[in-house]
Amino acid sequence: MNPIVIILLVVLGIVVILGLWYITTMNALRQLEVKVEEADSGIDVALTKRFDALSKLVGATKGYAKHEAELFEKVTKWRKGLPDNLSMEQKQEFQGRLNEVQSGINVAVEAYPDLKADKVFLNLQNSINEVEEHLQAARRLYNSNVSTINQRIVSFPTSIVAGMIAVAKKDFFEADTEKRADVDVSF
Amino acid sequence: MDPLLAYQTKKQQAEKYILIGGPLAVAAVALFLLVGLNNSVFQWISGLLFVGALGFIIVGSVRFNKMVADFKHNFLKDKIGEWIEDGVYKPDQGLGQNTVYGCEFLQSADRYHAEDFISGSLDGVPFQMCDIKLEERRVEHTKNGTRTYYVPFFTGQFYVVDFNKNFNGALQVLETEKPRSKRPFKKIKMESVQFNKTYKTYTTDDHTAFYLITPQMMERMMTVEKNHPGNIGFAFIDNKMYLAIDNNRSLLEVQMFRKLDEARIAGFKADFDLIHDVIHELKLNQNIFKEIA
Repeated sequence: MNPIVIILLVVLGIVVILGLWYITTMNALRQLEVKVEEADSGIDVALTKRFDALSKLVGATKGYAKHEAELFEKVTKWRKGLPDNLSMEQKQEFQGRLNEVQSGINVAVEAYPDLKADKVFLNLQNSINEVEEHLQAARRLYNSNVSTINQRIVSFPTSIVAGMIAVAKKDFFEADTEKRADVDVSF
Repeated sequence: MDPLLAYQTKKQQAEKYILIGGPLAVAAVALFLLVGLNNSVFQWISGLLFVGALGFIIVGSVRFNKMVADFKHNFLKDKIGEWIEDGVYKPDQGLGQNTVYGCEFLQSADRYHAEDFISGSLDGVPFQMCDIKLEERRVEHTKNGTRTYYVPFFTGQFYVVDFNKNFNGALQVLETEKPRSKRPFKKIKMESVQFNKTYKTYTTDDHTAFYLITPQMMERMMTVEKNHPGNIGFAFIDNKMYLAIDNNRSLLEVQMFRKLDEARIAGFKADFDLIHDVIHELKLNQNIFKEIA
């Protein structure tokens, strides 16, 4: 066979292999992006549920924790659910506010043993704990997916494809450990 | 007379038959091989000796089995009632196949054997357990025909623990097994590299996995694995936790020529350490697994 034909076939083979690799890598990155988006919406759902549960708790303890009720009013601008375009930083800030309100309520009700023993209040506390666990699970799942895609993006040669299709590193959802410790008050 | 001592005496009596029958059988075979091959008189003598030996062994075994059954149905039953709240012990029964296969990671067996059923509560957490032996049928084709035999692929304990934590998907945390389910299980990785080395995690819903397997839960599951030899598998399906441990042993077994004393009884009690550890390590006894009132 003519050497030029052989060279052309080899070059063609390499181009086909590179093309297939590019498509596979691009699809994998897109799928990972979708997983991150799904996990992100999981956080939104959990944050909204937490907001709803906390609003019930605020309603039940209004007479005991006035300051917290006022503080809670400040976050009601997102009462009808979180806006779609919120950044991860804004979500963290939102969660921080909720933590602040809840920890304030926990401290305020310490002075009212009757309230602490109230069944409705205990139920609300339990449901908030449940919602909080779901939020933590959503956060960990999101971070796990972000970790996977970020590792792929920085690894060569996937980084080339990521650059070509403009897939950028994602932000982690950081847990505010200091504030979380305040929230985890058991009754 | 102390009941335990009475059982030990009965056991020793049964063992005496074996102690006589065993050497007698060996002597009969030796006599036949040494002088009986060429001598018809010695053939008869060794034959009679062997039949006598067999008689001793059969009587000894029957007596031993009778003693074990009596010991389990009476003595151990009472003990388990003392050790476990609402403890029920049924030596001849086990969990049903549907319950065991409900974990959705154990291979369906050609021959299923379950015994030593126990139910009760530990620290207010209801559980059921039993010994199970799962065997696979093998067929071997030889020159002389076909030979069918069974090979055990799981010998150990199976536990079912109730809890009321609500979750949507199904989750399996397995050392060596794989899901055997119609559900769309997929393998995922948790955050802990060590946990991922110890266990493989399969779930139908990523969120459920992260919800149930918290970082603390991962640590505790690794502690359970470290403290209990054998292949461990957990399944969380329909508000139940299934635990299977393939450790090639049966619990509450009375062995021949092993003294049945207080130390042995303490050993039986220690066999419940696993489920006790699981309930404590995984904090099944705390509010996290209790229904919200």
